Amino acid sequence: MAEQPSLELASSTRVTAADGTEAPHPQATPCGSHPTAPTRGPEEGKAPQLLSRRSSMLSTLLGPPGSRRSSLGPVPGGKRPSVGPWLLHSRVSFSGLPLFQPIPETYLENTYRMQPEEGCRFNAGRVQRVLEGALAGVLGGTAYSPQGSTVLVQSLAELLRGRAKEVVPPRYKLVCHVLLGQHGQQSMLVASRALWDPESDSFASASFCNASLFAVATVHGVYFE
Amino acid sequence: MAKVFPRPNFYSEPHFSPCSKWGKYCIESVLGKADYNHNKVNQWTAAIVEQSLTHLVKLGKTYKYIVTCAVMQRSGAGLHTASSCFWDTTTDGTCTVRWENRTMNCIVNVFAVAIIL
Repeated sequence: MAEQPSLELASSTRVTAADGTEAPHPQATPCGSHPTAPTRGPEEGKAPQLLSRRSSMLSTLLGPPGSRRSSLGPVPGGKRPSVGPWLLHSRVSFSGLPLFQPIPETYLENTYRMQPEEGCRFNAGRVQRVLEGALAGVLGGTAYSPQGSTVLVQSLAELLRGRAKEVVPPRYKLVCHVLLGQHGQQSMLVASRALWDPESDSFASASFCNASLFAVATVHGVYFE
Repeated sequence: MAKVFPRPNFYSEPHFSPCSKWGKYCIESVLGKADYNHNKVNQWTAAIVEQSLTHLVKLGKTYKYIVTCAVMQRSGAGLHTASSCFWDTTTDGTCTVRWENRTMNCIVNVFAVAIIL
């Protein structure tokens, strides 16, 4: 945090210095953004050290005031100049690169809840009705096509997951699985088994069939413990 | 001070590779060289799912598992499957195994939902 305010202070003081004493100086214009080495006075404090550190990355000599340094120059209105990461981060390492603060990992407090609340369980019948309605609505007039069905089945899975999420109580994770196939002469069987807590977790499934395609949708609801 | 257990990541090695390995193994052992038989497909799917789940339980990880198996007769018809999940993407994951022979296709999905201790 030490560098930031001193830089701002340095910029503002540079403005007053430029206006007051360097009026005939061609570069010290109100809208000028090119501070030159001679105008930098002792009031800059840490700023020249910062800048000279950065320039040492580019060359050993103090280079001409280029666009890099100009972005730190005085801007009319006293607004903070918008630059790269150097001013946005409070800390800068000795090489001039910004030091990123590590993101602290948050540990959530224990709720001590082992099971869902009363009346807040996965309602299989309700979810099944929702699935049947959604399947019939989407696939009612649709015909099977090899290219279109890829996108259709993905969007159908997301749609069903969204619909199920509306009717399922909170603290439930959902797994929605959709199978869509061409209605031919083949036979098919879909089975599922799960290892979970049967009192809190459940599933619902629905199927739809028309002349050209069939669809089977399953939603498993797992309590998040 | 409460102990903080590390959150598992399903897609890291200890969890993910056994799922696909055991899935393949179970399908091979049940379906193997058989041809599609409508009368037997019920017990086939039940056996595949049960064996997969048993092997997953033996891994001893803190996960709830959902295993689905679809067996379809090969007749030239197209099949698409998709799944969409609402869960914690850092800890939960899925693994799919596809298998086919001359007369049938088999798709086994394993969904693993973490139990946070």
